[in-house]
Amino acid sequence: MRISIQGVGIQFRKGVKVLDDVSLEVATGDFVALLGPSGCGKSTLLNAVAGLLDPAECAMLGRIALDGGARNGTRLGYVFQRDTLLPWRTLSENIHVGMEIHAVPVAHREQRTRELIALVGLDGFEHYYPHQVSGGMRQRVQLVRTLAYEPEAILMDEPFGALDAQNRMLLQAELLRIWERRRTTILFVTHDLAEAITLAQRVVVLSKRPGRVKRIYDIPLPSPRDPFEMRASPAFAELETRIWKDLRDEFRAVPA
Amino acid sequence: MRTLSLVSRRLAFVGALLLLWEALTGGLGLPAILDPIIVARPSAALQEIARYSASGLLVKDVTVTLQEATIGLLLGIGGGVVFGLLLGYLRPLAETVEPVLVAFNSLPRIALAPVLIIAFGLGIASKIFLSLFTVFFVIFFNTYLGIRSVDPELVKALRVMGGDRWDLARYVVLPSVFAWIFAALRTSVSFALSGAVVGEFVGSTSGLGYRMVISAGLLDTNRTYAILLLLMAIAVVLVEIAKRVEDRLLRWRPTAILAS
Repeated sequence: MRISIQGVGIQFRKGVKVLDDVSLEVATGDFVALLGPSGCGKSTLLNAVAGLLDPAECAMLGRIALDGGARNGTRLGYVFQRDTLLPWRTLSENIHVGMEIHAVPVAHREQRTRELIALVGLDGFEHYYPHQVSGGMRQRVQLVRTLAYEPEAILMDEPFGALDAQNRMLLQAELLRIWERRRTTILFVTHDLAEAITLAQRVVVLSKRPGRVKRIYDIPLPSPRDPFEMRASPAFAELETRIWKDLRDEFRAVPA
Repeated sequence: MRTLSLVSRRLAFVGALLLLWEALTGGLGLPAILDPIIVARPSAALQEIARYSASGLLVKDVTVTLQEATIGLLLGIGGGVVFGLLLGYLRPLAETVEPVLVAFNSLPRIALAPVLIIAFGLGIASKIFLSLFTVFFVIFFNTYLGIRSVDPELVKALRVMGGDRWDLARYVVLPSVFAWIFAALRTSVSFALSGAVVGEFVGSTSGLGYRMVISAGLLDTNRTYAILLLLMAIAVVLVEIAKRVEDRLLRWRPTAILAS
Protein backbone atom coordinates (compact mmCIF):
# COMPACT_ATOMS: atom_id res chain seq x y z
CA MET A 1 0.00 0.00 0.00
CA ARG A 2 1.12 3.51 -0.80
CA ILE A 3 0.83 6.04 1.99
CA SER A 4 0.72 9.64 0.97
CA ILE A 5 0.98 12.33 3.62
CA GLN A 6 0.40 15.78 2.19
CA GLY A 7 0.98 18.97 4.14
CA VAL A 8 -0.26 17.54 7.39
CA GLY A 9 -0.41 19.80 10.43
CA ILE A 10 -1.94 18.73 13.72
CA GLN A 11 -2.89 20.89 16.63
CA PHE A 12 -4.41 19.74 19.88
CA ARG A 13 -7.46 21.63 21.04
CA LYS A 14 -5.56 22.69 24.10
CA GLY A 15 -3.36 24.73 21.80
CA VAL A 16 -0.25 22.61 21.39
CA LYS A 17 0.84 22.31 17.80
CA VAL A 18 2.53 18.97 17.32
CA LEU A 19 3.07 18.70 13.58
CA ASP A 20 3.55 21.34 10.94
CA ASP A 21 3.28 20.86 7.20
CA VAL A 22 4.57 17.30 7.03
CA SER A 23 4.67 15.71 3.62
CA LEU A 24 5.89 12.19 3.02
CA GLU A 25 5.38 9.55 0.38
CA VAL A 26 5.74 5.92 1.41
CA ALA A 27 5.78 3.65 -1.63
CA THR A 28 4.31 0.15 -1.67
CA GLY A 29 6.75 -2.27 -0.07
CA ASP A 30 8.84 0.51 1.42
CA PHE A 31 10.17 0.34 4.96
CA VAL A 32 10.33 3.87 6.35
CA ALA A 33 11.48 4.87 9.82
CA LEU A 34 10.23 8.07 11.43
CA LEU A 35 12.92 9.33 13.76
CA GLY A 36 12.77 12.29 16.08
CA PRO A 37 13.06 13.50 19.64
CA SER A 38 10.26 12.60 22.00
CA GLY A 39 7.28 14.91 21.75
CA CYS A 40 7.95 15.74 18.09
CA GLY A 41 4.63 14.26 17.04
CA LYS A 42 5.82 11.10 15.33
CA SER A 43 3.33 8.89 17.16
CA THR A 44 0.59 11.43 16.47
CA LEU A 45 1.41 11.21 12.77
CA LEU A 46 1.15 7.44 12.94
CA ASN A 47 -2.22 7.69 14.68
CA ALA A 48 -3.38 10.11 11.99
CA VAL A 49 -2.45 7.59 9.29
CA ALA A 50 -4.29 4.87 11.22
CA GLY A 51 -7.36 7.10 11.60
CA LEU A 52 -7.11 6.93 15.37
CA LEU A 53 -7.08 10.66 16.10
CA ASP A 54 -10.04 11.89 18.05
CA PRO A 55 -11.45 14.93 16.24
CA ALA A 56 -12.74 16.18 19.59
CA GLU A 57 -9.15 16.44 20.79
CA CYS A 58 -7.22 17.68 17.81
CA ALA A 59 -7.58 19.38 14.47
CA MET A 60 -5.79 18.17 11.36
CA LEU A 61 -4.81 20.14 8.29
CA GLY A 62 -3.70 18.56 5.03
CA ARG A 63 -4.52 15.15 3.68
CA ILE A 64 -3.56 11.55 4.17
CA ALA A 65 -4.29 9.18 1.32
CA LEU A 66 -3.93 5.42 1.37
CA ASP A 67 -3.44 4.07 -2.15
CA GLY A 68 -4.58 7.44 -3.40
CA GLY A 69 -7.95 7.30 -1.71
CA ALA A 70 -9.75 7.38 1.58
CA ARG A 71 -9.31 4.87 4.37
CA ASN A 72 -12.52 2.92 3.74
CA GLY A 73 -11.99 -0.78 4.05
CA THR A 74 -8.21 -0.72 3.78
CA ARG A 75 -6.44 -3.19 5.98
CA LEU A 76 -3.93 -1.62 8.30
CA GLY A 77 -1.84 -3.23 10.97
CA TYR A 78 -0.65 -1.37 14.03
CA VAL A 79 1.92 -2.60 16.51
CA PHE A 80 1.89 -0.65 19.75
CA GLN A 81 4.74 -0.03 22.13
CA ARG A 82 2.59 -1.14 25.01
CA ASP A 83 1.28 -4.64 24.99
CA THR A 84 -2.29 -4.56 23.70
CA LEU A 85 -3.00 -8.25 23.62
CA LEU A 86 -6.39 -9.20 25.01
CA PRO A 87 -5.53 -10.58 28.46
CA TRP A 88 -8.50 -12.97 28.46
CA ARG A 89 -7.40 -14.71 25.29
CA THR A 90 -4.56 -17.17 24.91
CA LEU A 91 -1.71 -16.29 22.57
CA SER A 92 -3.19 -18.23 19.67
CA GLU A 93 -6.67 -16.80 20.33
CA ASN A 94 -5.10 -13.35 20.24
CA ILE A 95 -3.63 -14.11 16.83
CA HIS A 96 -7.13 -15.13 15.74
CA VAL A 97 -8.80 -11.82 16.58
CA GLY A 98 -7.90 -9.91 13.42
CA MET A 99 -8.77 -12.89 11.27
CA GLU A 100 -12.12 -13.29 13.03
CA ILE A 101 -12.92 -9.65 12.34
CA HIS A 102 -12.03 -10.11 8.70
CA ALA A 103 -14.04 -13.34 8.57
CA VAL A 104 -11.18 -15.62 7.59
CA PRO A 105 -12.52 -19.21 7.54
CA VAL A 106 -11.78 -21.23 10.67
CA ALA A 107 -9.57 -23.85 9.02
CA HIS A 108 -7.45 -21.11 7.47
CA ARG A 109 -7.21 -19.30 10.78
CA GLU A 110 -5.90 -22.32 12.61
CA GLN A 111 -3.33 -23.09 9.97
CA ARG A 112 -2.09 -19.54 9.66
CA THR A 113 -1.83 -19.23 13.43
CA ARG A 114 0.31 -22.35 13.57
CA GLU A 115 2.60 -20.96 10.90
CA LEU A 116 2.92 -17.61 12.62
CA ILE A 117 3.56 -19.15 16.02
CA ALA A 118 6.34 -21.17 14.43
CA LEU A 119 7.65 -18.11 12.60
CA VAL A 120 8.45 -16.37 15.88
CA GLY A 121 9.45 -19.51 17.74
CA LEU A 122 6.55 -19.66 20.17
CA ASP A 123 5.66 -23.31 19.61
CA GLY A 124 4.34 -24.82 22.82
CA PHE A 125 3.09 -21.48 24.15
CA GLU A 126 -0.10 -21.29 22.05
CA HIS A 127 -2.37 -21.86 25.01
CA TYR A 128 -0.65 -19.59 27.48
CA TYR A 129 -2.31 -16.38 28.56
CA PRO A 130 -0.40 -13.14 27.95
CA HIS A 131 0.40 -12.63 31.63
CA GLN A 132 2.13 -15.99 31.73
CA VAL A 133 4.80 -15.13 29.16
CA SER A 134 7.60 -12.57 28.94
CA GLY A 135 7.38 -9.09 27.44
CA GLY A 136 9.47 -10.17 24.47
CA MET A 137 7.09 -13.05 23.75
CA ARG A 138 4.06 -10.79 24.04
CA GLN A 139 5.61 -8.38 21.59
CA ARG A 140 6.25 -11.22 19.14
CA VAL A 141 2.60 -12.17 19.39
CA GLN A 142 1.57 -8.58 18.78
CA LEU A 143 3.68 -8.59 15.65
CA VAL A 144 2.28 -11.81 14.22
CA ARG A 145 -1.25 -10.95 15.31
CA THR A 146 -0.89 -8.02 12.94
CA LEU A 147 0.60 -10.16 10.16
CA ALA A 148 -2.18 -12.71 10.57
CA TYR A 149 -4.88 -10.74 8.78
CA GLU A 150 -2.47 -9.66 6.07
CA PRO A 151 -2.68 -5.89 6.29
CA GLU A 152 -1.58 -3.87 3.31
CA ALA A 153 0.57 -1.67 5.51
CA ILE A 154 1.89 -1.98 9.05
CA LEU A 155 2.35 0.98 11.35
CA MET A 156 4.70 0.43 14.26
CA ASP A 157 4.99 2.77 17.22
CA GLU A 158 8.28 2.09 19.01
CA PRO A 159 7.28 -1.57 19.17
CA PHE A 160 10.54 -2.71 20.73
CA GLY A 161 11.03 0.27 23.02
CA ALA A 162 10.08 -1.57 26.18
CA LEU A 163 12.36 -4.54 25.56
CA ASP A 164 15.87 -5.24 26.77
CA ALA A 165 18.70 -4.80 24.26
CA GLN A 166 19.04 -8.51 23.52
CA ASN A 167 15.35 -9.08 22.84
CA ARG A 168 15.16 -5.92 20.82
CA MET A 169 17.86 -7.12 18.43
CA LEU A 170 16.22 -10.53 18.13
CA LEU A 171 12.90 -8.97 17.27
CA GLN A 172 14.51 -6.56 14.82
CA ALA A 173 16.04 -9.54 13.07
CA GLU A 174 12.67 -11.28 12.97
CA LEU A 175 10.95 -8.19 11.64
CA LEU A 176 13.57 -7.81 8.90
CA ARG A 177 13.20 -11.44 7.92
CA ILE A 178 9.43 -11.07 7.72
CA TRP A 179 9.62 -7.83 5.77
CA GLU A 180 12.14 -9.21 3.30
CA ARG A 181 9.84 -12.13 2.65
CA ARG A 182 6.54 -10.24 2.40
CA ARG A 183 7.49 -6.70 1.45
CA THR A 184 4.56 -5.19 3.27
CA THR A 185 4.71 -1.41 3.52
CA ILE A 186 6.01 -0.46 6.98
CA LEU A 187 6.03 2.88 8.72
CA PHE A 188 8.11 2.53 11.86
CA VAL A 189 8.34 5.17 14.59
CA THR A 190 11.39 5.16 16.83
CA HIS A 191 13.67 7.49 18.72
CA ASP A 192 16.56 5.08 18.41
CA LEU A 193 18.85 6.03 15.53
CA ALA A 194 20.62 2.66 15.35
CA GLU A 195 17.27 0.90 15.17
CA ALA A 196 16.09 3.17 12.37
CA ILE A 197 19.22 2.53 10.30
CA THR A 198 19.14 -1.20 11.00
CA LEU A 199 15.60 -1.67 9.81
CA ALA A 200 14.57 0.94 7.32
CA GLN A 201 15.18 1.57 3.64
CA ARG A 202 14.62 5.25 4.34
CA VAL A 203 14.91 7.26 7.54
CA VAL A 204 12.83 10.40 7.96
CA VAL A 205 14.24 12.76 10.57
CA LEU A 206 11.64 14.98 12.19
CA SER A 207 12.47 18.22 13.95
CA LYS A 208 11.52 18.95 17.53
CA ARG A 209 7.95 20.09 18.19
CA PRO A 210 6.14 21.16 16.11
CA GLY A 211 7.52 18.32 14.02
CA ARG A 212 8.51 18.98 10.42
CA VAL A 213 10.38 16.75 8.04
CA LYS A 214 13.96 17.84 8.53
CA ARG A 215 15.59 15.46 6.13
CA ILE A 216 15.09 12.09 4.49
CA TYR A 217 17.99 9.65 4.22
CA ASP A 218 18.25 6.62 1.97
CA ILE A 219 19.81 3.70 3.76
CA PRO A 220 21.72 1.86 1.05
CA LEU A 221 22.73 -1.08 3.22
CA PRO A 222 22.50 -4.46 1.46
CA SER A 223 19.71 -6.96 2.07
CA PRO A 224 19.25 -9.34 3.75
CA ARG A 225 20.42 -7.49 6.80
CA ASP A 226 21.60 -8.94 10.05
CA PRO A 227 21.19 -6.50 12.94
CA PHE A 228 23.91 -8.23 14.95
CA GLU A 229 26.62 -8.00 12.30
CA MET A 230 25.52 -4.78 10.72
CA ARG A 231 26.44 -2.62 13.67
CA ALA A 232 30.08 -3.50 13.22
CA SER A 233 30.15 -2.46 9.55
CA PRO A 234 31.82 0.81 8.52
CA ALA A 235 28.88 1.77 6.29
CA PHE A 236 26.58 1.61 9.31
CA ALA A 237 28.91 3.74 11.42
CA GLU A 238 29.23 6.29 8.66
CA LEU A 239 25.44 6.62 8.29
CA GLU A 240 25.01 6.85 12.02
CA THR A 241 27.52 9.70 12.28
CA ARG A 242 25.95 11.55 9.37
CA ILE A 243 22.36 11.34 10.62
CA TRP A 244 23.34 11.95 14.21
CA LYS A 245 24.71 15.37 13.27
CA ASP A 246 21.24 16.38 12.13
CA LEU A 247 19.46 14.73 14.96
CA ARG A 248 21.71 16.08 17.68
CA ASP A 249 20.51 19.64 17.17
CA GLU A 250 16.91 18.50 17.59
CA PHE A 251 17.59 16.48 20.71
CA ARG A 252 19.62 19.27 22.25
CA ALA A 253 16.92 21.84 21.81
CA VAL A 254 14.42 19.80 23.82
CA PRO A 255 14.41 20.65 27.49
CA ALA A 256 14.81 17.45 29.49
CA MET B 1 3.65 -28.16 60.90
CA ARG B 2 5.14 -28.64 57.43
CA THR B 3 4.44 -32.33 57.37
CA LEU B 4 0.68 -31.89 57.87
CA SER B 5 -1.44 -31.00 54.88
CA LEU B 6 -3.21 -27.68 54.84
CA VAL B 7 -6.61 -29.37 55.10
CA SER B 8 -5.69 -31.32 58.21
CA ARG B 9 -4.19 -28.23 59.85
CA ARG B 10 -7.38 -26.32 59.14
CA LEU B 11 -9.57 -29.13 60.46
CA ALA B 12 -7.44 -29.34 63.57
CA PHE B 13 -7.87 -25.60 64.12
CA VAL B 14 -11.66 -25.79 63.76
CA GLY B 15 -11.72 -28.78 66.07
CA ALA B 16 -9.68 -26.93 68.67
CA LEU B 17 -12.02 -23.94 68.48
CA LEU B 18 -15.04 -26.19 69.00
CA LEU B 19 -13.37 -27.92 71.96
CA LEU B 20 -12.48 -24.58 73.53
CA TRP B 21 -16.04 -23.37 73.03
CA GLU B 22 -17.41 -26.61 74.45
CA ALA B 23 -15.13 -26.26 77.50
CA LEU B 24 -16.03 -22.62 78.11
CA THR B 25 -19.75 -23.41 78.08
CA GLY B 26 -19.42 -26.14 80.70
CA GLY B 27 -18.82 -29.14 78.49
CA LEU B 28 -16.16 -31.83 78.99
CA GLY B 29 -17.00 -31.91 82.69
CA LEU B 30 -15.55 -28.47 83.30
CA PRO B 31 -17.25 -25.63 85.20
CA ALA B 32 -19.09 -23.29 82.83
CA ILE B 33 -17.48 -19.90 82.33
CA LEU B 34 -20.15 -18.82 79.84
CA ASP B 35 -23.75 -19.44 80.84
CA PRO B 36 -25.23 -22.06 78.41
CA ILE B 37 -28.51 -20.14 78.53
CA ILE B 38 -26.75 -17.22 76.86
CA VAL B 39 -24.12 -19.05 74.78
CA ALA B 40 -25.16 -22.47 73.58
CA ARG B 41 -22.83 -25.40 73.99
CA PRO B 42 -21.74 -26.62 70.52
CA SER B 43 -22.63 -30.25 71.27
CA ALA B 44 -26.12 -29.14 72.28
CA ALA B 45 -26.44 -26.99 69.16
CA LEU B 46 -25.44 -29.94 66.96
CA GLN B 47 -27.97 -32.18 68.71
CA GLU B 48 -30.52 -29.46 68.12
CA ILE B 49 -29.74 -29.52 64.40
CA ALA B 50 -30.62 -33.23 64.40
CA ARG B 51 -33.87 -32.57 66.25
CA TYR B 52 -34.68 -29.65 63.95
CA SER B 53 -34.05 -31.87 60.96
CA ALA B 54 -36.17 -34.71 62.33
CA SER B 55 -39.12 -32.34 62.78
CA GLY B 56 -39.12 -31.72 59.02
CA LEU B 57 -38.85 -27.98 59.49
CA LEU B 58 -35.16 -27.80 58.64
CA VAL B 59 -35.57 -28.89 55.02
CA LYS B 60 -38.53 -26.55 54.63
CA ASP B 61 -36.71 -23.55 56.11
CA VAL B 62 -33.47 -24.15 54.19
CA THR B 63 -35.46 -24.54 50.97
CA VAL B 64 -37.30 -21.27 51.50
CA THR B 65 -34.17 -19.30 52.38
CA LEU B 66 -32.13 -20.73 49.52
CA GLN B 67 -34.95 -20.10 47.12
CA GLU B 68 -35.15 -16.45 48.14
CA ALA B 69 -31.40 -15.99 48.01
CA THR B 70 -30.96 -17.75 44.67
CA ILE B 71 -33.78 -15.97 42.88
CA GLY B 72 -32.65 -12.67 44.38
CA LEU B 73 -29.07 -13.34 43.31
CA LEU B 74 -29.96 -14.22 39.74
CA LEU B 75 -32.35 -11.30 39.29
CA GLY B 76 -29.89 -8.97 40.98
CA ILE B 77 -27.07 -10.05 38.68
CA GLY B 78 -29.30 -9.85 35.61
CA GLY B 79 -30.67 -6.44 36.50
CA GLY B 80 -27.27 -5.12 37.54
CA VAL B 81 -25.65 -6.20 34.28
CA VAL B 82 -28.43 -4.80 32.10
CA PHE B 83 -28.55 -1.42 33.88
CA GLY B 84 -24.78 -1.27 34.14
CA LEU B 85 -24.36 -1.83 30.41
CA LEU B 86 -27.14 0.60 29.61
CA LEU B 87 -25.72 3.41 31.72
CA GLY B 88 -22.18 2.52 30.73
CA TYR B 89 -23.07 3.09 27.10
CA LEU B 90 -25.47 6.00 27.54
CA ARG B 91 -23.29 8.58 29.15
CA PRO B 92 -25.79 11.47 29.38
CA LEU B 93 -28.32 9.17 31.07
CA ALA B 94 -25.65 7.96 33.48
CA GLU B 95 -24.67 11.50 34.40
CA THR B 96 -28.29 12.37 35.04
CA VAL B 97 -29.16 9.49 37.31
CA GLU B 98 -25.80 9.11 39.02
CA PRO B 99 -26.55 11.09 42.21
CA VAL B 100 -29.68 9.05 42.87
CA LEU B 101 -27.83 5.80 42.34
CA VAL B 102 -25.04 6.93 44.62
CA ALA B 103 -27.61 7.83 47.28
CA PHE B 104 -29.21 4.38 47.00
CA ASN B 105 -25.83 2.77 47.12
CA SER B 106 -24.88 4.65 50.30
CA LEU B 107 -28.11 3.58 51.97
CA PRO B 108 -27.62 0.50 54.12
CA ARG B 109 -29.66 -1.66 51.78
CA ILE B 110 -30.87 -3.88 54.59
CA ALA B 111 -32.82 -0.83 55.75
CA LEU B 112 -35.17 -1.40 52.84
CA ALA B 113 -36.51 -4.52 54.56
CA PRO B 114 -39.48 -2.94 56.41
CA VAL B 115 -40.48 -0.99 53.29
CA LEU B 116 -40.38 -4.10 51.14
CA ILE B 117 -42.39 -6.09 53.65
CA ILE B 118 -45.07 -3.41 53.64
CA ALA B 119 -45.09 -3.54 49.86
CA PHE B 120 -44.80 -7.27 49.22
CA GLY B 121 -46.06 -8.92 52.38
CA LEU B 122 -44.65 -11.63 54.60
CA GLY B 123 -44.13 -14.18 51.81
CA ILE B 124 -41.00 -14.90 49.86
CA ALA B 125 -41.46 -12.01 47.39
CA SER B 126 -40.29 -9.36 49.87
CA LYS B 127 -37.13 -11.39 50.66
CA ILE B 128 -36.39 -11.94 46.99
CA PHE B 129 -36.61 -8.19 46.50
CA LEU B 130 -34.34 -7.43 49.44
CA SER B 131 -31.84 -9.98 48.21
CA LEU B 132 -32.13 -8.59 44.70
CA PHE B 133 -31.47 -5.03 45.85
CA THR B 134 -28.43 -5.91 47.89
CA VAL B 135 -26.93 -7.77 44.93
CA PHE B 136 -28.12 -5.40 42.24
CA PHE B 137 -26.01 -2.45 43.34
CA VAL B 138 -22.82 -4.44 43.69
CA ILE B 139 -23.19 -5.90 40.21
CA PHE B 140 -24.49 -2.69 38.72
CA PHE B 141 -21.54 -0.63 39.93
CA ASN B 142 -19.07 -3.27 38.88
CA THR B 143 -20.55 -3.46 35.40
CA TYR B 144 -20.66 0.30 35.10
CA LEU B 145 -17.09 0.73 36.31
CA GLY B 146 -16.08 -2.20 34.14
CA ILE B 147 -17.22 -0.32 31.05
CA ARG B 148 -15.58 2.86 32.24
CA SER B 149 -12.28 1.17 32.86
CA VAL B 150 -12.02 -0.58 29.51
CA ASP B 151 -8.42 -0.10 28.40
CA PRO B 152 -8.51 2.54 25.63
CA GLU B 153 -5.39 1.01 24.09
CA LEU B 154 -7.22 -2.27 23.56
CA VAL B 155 -10.06 -0.35 21.93
CA LYS B 156 -7.59 1.35 19.62
CA ALA B 157 -5.93 -1.93 18.77
CA LEU B 158 -9.26 -3.46 17.80
CA ARG B 159 -10.36 -0.45 15.80
CA VAL B 160 -7.21 -0.40 13.73
CA MET B 161 -7.71 -4.10 12.95
CA GLY B 162 -10.97 -3.04 11.38
CA GLY B 163 -13.30 -3.80 14.28
CA ASP B 164 -16.68 -2.05 14.32
CA ARG B 165 -18.78 -1.18 17.39
CA TRP B 166 -20.05 -4.70 17.66
CA ASP B 167 -16.55 -6.18 17.46
CA LEU B 168 -15.42 -3.79 20.18
CA ALA B 169 -18.25 -4.89 22.45
CA ARG B 170 -17.60 -8.55 21.75
CA TYR B 171 -13.82 -8.61 21.99
CA VAL B 172 -13.04 -5.88 24.49
CA VAL B 173 -15.95 -4.35 26.42
CA LEU B 174 -17.92 -7.45 27.42
CA PRO B 175 -14.94 -9.60 28.45
CA SER B 176 -13.57 -6.78 30.54
CA VAL B 177 -16.98 -6.13 32.10
CA PHE B 178 -17.42 -9.83 32.85
CA ALA B 179 -14.11 -9.82 34.63
CA TRP B 180 -15.46 -7.14 36.97
CA ILE B 181 -18.74 -8.97 37.45
CA PHE B 182 -17.13 -12.30 38.25
CA ALA B 183 -14.82 -10.57 40.66
CA ALA B 184 -17.95 -9.44 42.54
CA LEU B 185 -19.57 -12.87 42.50
CA ARG B 186 -18.40 -14.00 45.93
CA THR B 187 -19.54 -10.80 47.59
CA SER B 188 -22.87 -11.04 45.78
CA VAL B 189 -23.50 -14.56 46.99
CA SER B 190 -23.07 -13.66 50.63
CA PHE B 191 -25.06 -10.44 50.11
CA ALA B 192 -27.93 -12.43 48.59
CA LEU B 193 -27.97 -14.75 51.56
CA SER B 194 -27.91 -11.93 54.11
CA GLY B 195 -30.68 -10.14 52.20
CA ALA B 196 -32.88 -13.21 52.47
CA VAL B 197 -32.13 -13.84 56.14
CA VAL B 198 -32.56 -10.23 57.25
CA GLY B 199 -35.82 -10.05 55.33
CA GLU B 200 -36.98 -13.09 57.28
CA PHE B 201 -35.91 -11.45 60.55
CA VAL B 202 -38.06 -8.46 59.87
CA GLY B 203 -41.24 -10.25 58.95
CA SER B 204 -42.02 -13.67 57.54
CA THR B 205 -43.66 -17.02 58.19
CA SER B 206 -40.84 -19.41 57.33
CA GLY B 207 -37.14 -19.65 56.49
CA LEU B 208 -33.96 -19.90 58.56
CA GLY B 209 -34.05 -16.25 59.57
CA TYR B 210 -37.66 -16.55 60.71
CA ARG B 211 -36.94 -19.70 62.75
CA MET B 212 -33.93 -18.01 64.31
CA VAL B 213 -35.79 -14.91 65.45
CA ILE B 214 -38.58 -17.06 66.92
CA SER B 215 -36.06 -19.23 68.79
CA ALA B 216 -34.21 -16.21 70.13
CA GLY B 217 -37.52 -14.72 71.29
CA LEU B 218 -38.25 -17.92 73.20
CA LEU B 219 -34.73 -17.87 74.65
CA ASP B 220 -34.16 -21.20 72.90
CA THR B 221 -30.40 -20.64 72.75
CA ASN B 222 -29.60 -24.09 71.39
CA ARG B 223 -31.83 -23.72 68.37
CA THR B 224 -30.66 -20.16 67.71
CA TYR B 225 -27.07 -21.34 67.64
CA ALA B 226 -28.01 -24.39 65.62
CA ILE B 227 -29.41 -22.15 62.90
CA LEU B 228 -26.40 -19.86 63.09
CA LEU B 229 -24.11 -22.83 62.46
CA LEU B 230 -26.32 -23.96 59.58
CA LEU B 231 -26.21 -20.52 58.00
CA MET B 232 -22.47 -20.48 58.34
CA ALA B 233 -22.17 -23.87 56.65
CA ILE B 234 -24.48 -22.84 53.82
CA ALA B 235 -22.58 -19.60 53.28
CA VAL B 236 -19.23 -21.40 53.24
CA VAL B 237 -20.45 -23.84 50.60
CA LEU B 238 -22.03 -21.15 48.41
CA VAL B 239 -19.03 -18.85 48.60
CA GLU B 240 -16.73 -21.75 47.79
CA ILE B 241 -18.81 -22.54 44.71
CA ALA B 242 -18.71 -18.90 43.68
CA LYS B 243 -14.95 -18.85 44.21
CA ARG B 244 -14.45 -21.91 41.99
CA VAL B 245 -16.62 -20.41 39.26
CA GLU B 246 -14.67 -17.17 39.52
CA ASP B 247 -11.25 -18.85 39.45
CA ARG B 248 -12.27 -20.91 36.48
CA LEU B 249 -13.66 -17.99 34.48
CA LEU B 250 -10.88 -15.61 35.39
CA ARG B 251 -8.03 -18.03 34.96
CA TRP B 252 -6.48 -15.67 32.42
CA ARG B 253 -5.73 -13.23 35.21
CA PRO B 254 -2.41 -12.92 36.93
CA THR B 255 -2.66 -14.77 40.26
CA ALA B 256 -1.64 -11.66 42.16
CA ILE B 257 -5.05 -10.21 41.34
CA LEU B 258 -6.90 -13.43 42.04
CA ALA B 259 -5.43 -13.64 45.49
CA SER B 260 -6.88 -10.32 46.59
